[in-house]
Amino acid sequence: MNDAIIRLEEVSYRYPDGTSALNNCTLGIHRNRRTAVLGANGAGKTTMFLHLNGIVQPTSGRLFWGNTPLDYSRAGLRKLRSKVGMVFQNPDSQLFSASVREDISFGPMNLGLDISTVRQRVDKALQAVAMAELADKPVHNLSYGQKKRVCIAGVLAMEPEIIVLDEPMAGLDAAMQLELTAVLEKLHGGGITIVIATHDLDFAYGWADQTLVMESGRVLAHGTPDDILLRPEVGETLGATPQVAEIIHSLSLIGIDLRGNGYLPRTKDELVKAITAFAGREDTP
Amino acid sequence: MLTEQSAYTNRWRWVSPTAKGILTCSGIVAAFAASSPRASLLVAALLMATAIFGAGIPATRYLRVGAPALLFLGASCLSLLVTLKFTHGGGTLTMQSNPAELSHIARMCGRSCACLTALLLLTLTTPLSDIISLLRSCKVPDTLLDLMTLCYRTLFVLSAAIHETITAQSARLGHSTLALSLRSMGGLVANLTIQVWQRSQALHIAALARNNDGALRFLEHPFAHSRRHITMASGAGVTLILLAVLIP
Repeated sequence: MNDAIIRLEEVSYRYPDGTSALNNCTLGIHRNRRTAVLGANGAGKTTMFLHLNGIVQPTSGRLFWGNTPLDYSRAGLRKLRSKVGMVFQNPDSQLFSASVREDISFGPMNLGLDISTVRQRVDKALQAVAMAELADKPVHNLSYGQKKRVCIAGVLAMEPEIIVLDEPMAGLDAAMQLELTAVLEKLHGGGITIVIATHDLDFAYGWADQTLVMESGRVLAHGTPDDILLRPEVGETLGATPQVAEIIHSLSLIGIDLRGNGYLPRTKDELVKAITAFAGREDTP
Repeated sequence: MLTEQSAYTNRWRWVSPTAKGILTCSGIVAAFAASSPRASLLVAALLMATAIFGAGIPATRYLRVGAPALLFLGASCLSLLVTLKFTHGGGTLTMQSNPAELSHIARMCGRSCACLTALLLLTLTTPLSDIISLLRSCKVPDTLLDLMTLCYRTLFVLSAAIHETITAQSARLGHSTLALSLRSMGGLVANLTIQVWQRSQALHIAALARNNDGALRFLEHPFAHSRRHITMASGAGVTLILLAVLIP
């Protein structure tokens, strides 16, 4: 836990209306990892994300950047928010300007960068999310998926170390989800730590390096998807287990043990490859 | 929406907003400097022709955008020209007009038409985000510009919300009778009031998340040939003012 880039230590948070959102929540986000945060609605995922960006301060407990407690002064928050970028669930709650290019420039302008640097960062962010061709379009003429990509570009242009995305796949069709996954892969390949809140177990199982399962404002389980998402108590909390894992389990009951290869498939493509390899092995005299 | 559509698709989309602003201001100055109603109407006709033939705004769209303002102007001029009088003794309603006022009303109408076409030239050729940048360079207070930015963006978000709510209400027979329609409209207003509050909260949080703690600042678009456009617009503006002054 101590090698985490940012961590929460026994953090509790209560909203002004008395709703308890986090209860002694302890967790860590590790550098250059893809972290999926899972949990039912109301489990505390969004509140935890708001803590990572310093939007809300814990009622009790502490947050650390490395080993340094977070500084909630104006300068401290400025520094934190330049390192942790947050993409909200609803793009219309995040986009300020009616112009794509202008909206992406909003964060870098707030960082006080000079105009040529802002221009350079905006162009780079547009390229990263494959939106360069739509840079001069009005935001209200974009599709939902394109708006989501503009939101990511807006955060990306601030060049954060961590990007936190609250249910980025919500409302996207399958093709858009694939496009967004490719964008996230590209960002991760560029050295950015990515944290995603999602209800999509299959996506989390196939994509993440680290999973955090939240329940009632605290972390129920954390570790690799293989370790966590196949646990019965986690399956009970989330109401399901990943489909690929279920298929592997069903196949093992009829004597097809794909685990025997020392390789556990996590995506449908990997599963097909593993089954093909198994069939090839069985055919070999 | 018609204005919005034109602003993004006209031939002058990438002409410097400063140049278009100069031409608009010149049009307004020419409207007031015009020595006669004829001169004002000539200024209006020139500005309209500039928008239609220069910027490529379709004439029908131009007239549709200008129609409400022209109707309002027509009604105002008519009310100035004609006075309705009710005589108590005879109990009759009479209509009176003052021919002496005619030239005064014609001058006002001409000026208004010229001012309207000048403003239409700017709004139909320039997206609001560019107009806001132009106003920022003119040192208009940040608070006013922030409000303009947020209102402009929210306009589209809320219009989508209104459309969705009305569709959902219609799907459940919410607009099948006048009484139900009125009730549904009440529900829509109540719902939108809450949405406006929630969205303003969400936008505030999103602004904080992107390190904002003051005015909303955006990158301004660099316009190619800006200096040349400004020089041309200044020349055209001066010519327009001279025409307005010199034409009897």
